[in-house]
Amino acid sequence: MDAQDRGSDARHGPAEPGVPGPRTPLPAPTAPADGTDVSDETDRTGGTDRADGPAVPVGAQDQPGGVEQPPGAQMPSDSPRTGIAALSPPYRIGAALALAAVAVTVCVHLGMAFLHVAPPNTVSKKHSETIADWIYPEFEQNWKLFAPNPLQQNVSVQVRAEIRWPDGSRRTTGWYDLSAQDGRDIDGNPAPSHTQQNELRRAWDFYVSTHDDDNRPVGLRGALSESYLRRIMALRLDRADAAGPHGEVARVQVRSRTTQVPPPEWSGEKASDEAEYRELPWWPLPEGETRGGVG
Amino acid sequence: MNRLWPAVARVTDSALGPYQTAVLRIGVALTWLLFLLREYPHRQELYGPDSPWSWDLAAQLVGANDAFTVLLWSDSQVWFEAVYALAVLFSLLLLLGWRTRTMTALFMVGVLSLQNRSVFMGDGGDNVLHLMAIYLLFTRCGHVWSLDARRARRAARARARGERTHDAVGPALWAVLGVVLLLGSLAGRTDGDWFIPALLWAVWLGQAGWWLAGRLARTDQPRILLDVVGNVAHNGALLVIMAEACLIYATAGWYKVQGSRWQDGTAVHYPLHLEYFSPWPSLAGLLTASGTLVMLVTYVTVVVQVAFPFTLFNRRVKNVLLGFMILEHAVIAVVLGLPFFSLAMIAADAVFLPTSFLCRAGRLAARARGRLRPRGDAVPVPPPRRPDGPPGRPSAVGPAQAAPVTDGVPGPRT
Repeated sequence: MDAQDRGSDARHGPAEPGVPGPRTPLPAPTAPADGTDVSDETDRTGGTDRADGPAVPVGAQDQPGGVEQPPGAQMPSDSPRTGIAALSPPYRIGAALALAAVAVTVCVHLGMAFLHVAPPNTVSKKHSETIADWIYPEFEQNWKLFAPNPLQQNVSVQVRAEIRWPDGSRRTTGWYDLSAQDGRDIDGNPAPSHTQQNELRRAWDFYVSTHDDDNRPVGLRGALSESYLRRIMALRLDRADAAGPHGEVARVQVRSRTTQVPPPEWSGEKASDEAEYRELPWWPLPEGETRGGVG
Repeated sequence: MNRLWPAVARVTDSALGPYQTAVLRIGVALTWLLFLLREYPHRQELYGPDSPWSWDLAAQLVGANDAFTVLLWSDSQVWFEAVYALAVLFSLLLLLGWRTRTMTALFMVGVLSLQNRSVFMGDGGDNVLHLMAIYLLFTRCGHVWSLDARRARRAARARARGERTHDAVGPALWAVLGVVLLLGSLAGRTDGDWFIPALLWAVWLGQAGWWLAGRLARTDQPRILLDVVGNVAHNGALLVIMAEACLIYATAGWYKVQGSRWQDGTAVHYPLHLEYFSPWPSLAGLLTASGTLVMLVTYVTVVVQVAFPFTLFNRRVKNVLLGFMILEHAVIAVVLGLPFFSLAMIAADAVFLPTSFLCRAGRLAARARGRLRPRGDAVPVPPPRRPDGPPGRPSAVGPAQAAPVTDGVPGPRT
């Protein structure tokens, strides 16, 4: 498919645009180079509707739809025949079938995508299963970018750990503010990594969306989100060297600290500057995670 | 019928918008390539077998949602490194347009494998790339600005000189892919959702069909038919890509209209003060210092997003808005620290750029490249002028004539 496109057969000689680089140093390049560029451009975009070749009657010139053009414009004898006009009737049926199949697929796909992103409505509620079957897993999408309202809270995910020492004693660390650490890593960073910008933020969203207010998991995803969050904690605590050279992390506790983004000064609005906390239960770390082993 | 036929001929006889699809291909491949290179130091944490979203967790989720990923074929470190390296390679080759159709398939496999392996690491930018990677597979996006186009030119020149050309790389690549696909299928690795494996098989069979039609058929009819089918698929995919871009803007815009912060004109203030989206706090402070300015930016953002799909009916308004969108995404890239999201959106926006603009940009790029590398080895002999080509200076035949079709949009006058 790559090797012999129509383009390679259709033209003999004239160069295409885009790679005229090496030609520019030549003595008088402008006119031919640019001239071919333009003719080529119309070649490609307009197909037989376009009027720069000998094939098309003058009347079709500059008519975007090319409506005046008679069907099956006669091809110049020296170029290979292409297009539906060059097909014999049985093959035309094949082309028509392909056209119909593509047209139907395009319409159905766009309809499904529309219903998927639109608010739940009469149609999408009635056919929710059909829509889900079509969209998932590969065409899932969410474009509520900062909408309906942008997030107006900073949610900091924090963790503390219970360290177990070789002599059997235990000690609880202070709270590590992992989101603040992410924030510092993002500051002045022209291309923040997904590990800094998305990992913790989205893991927390995932946890919240799959747990009820009493931190009970809902379904498989609830269980997955707990393991995920716990493993992120193990990774980050290991990086912070929370357990020192000899200890190991026995348990972790996660909490979120939510503060309102202060409203702009010029708005005259006041927002509470009190932080809200959500504290999760202590989680014991499994064998493989007490000394890092993640990431 | 009189009115229908030209439309049918238009979508069957040629792959519309060759420059637009090429720039989309380059933009999407470049975004993913830069992303992979940027994340190279973090690759274990994002997609590796021992990442926080461990192989086991991913396997459980994918077992439930049937998404396509080759990364779960094995939990070995070697396999992961190989897939990551290949994803980098495929995006580079797609960027260059080498064996474009095959590369769109492999690029898609790379994007889907990594993203579906760790869905919770992604953001809107990944979502755009995910969709575009699939849609690109259906397009003939290597017609211009690609190594394929250069090879086709050279082959045409060789044929014109009466030389025989043959291509060994294509069939070899095809055979290797066939073996990999077959092994994957036989090992039951593609038993999840049928869609992506079916796509890959379809591309593979399609390439075989195209090759056979060019070599063995007694008439040129099968080849022409396949060409028509390729054009129709390309044009359908181009329409879907454009509609998808409209869907993105329309959704983003219409949902914003309902938000109280977008209504009271303060919305733009908030993301700029989120810990996760403020790489330059002092710049954000500067931008939000004036309430009037924030209100204007807030309103204009909503208006532009809501209006964009409708402006496609008017070339000039569309181009103005397009320029504005691209500018806004460039600002978002810096101010919110979302360069890859912005780059992906700009790539998607680029399918709406006028051909005349793209050609001019292409010539500038070529000239810049010629200045950087003035060896002139790529085209040793200046190609002959096309006898029926338009004479005279480019300005005489430039935007004026090119205008009506510049967008390659199958819609009216865009």
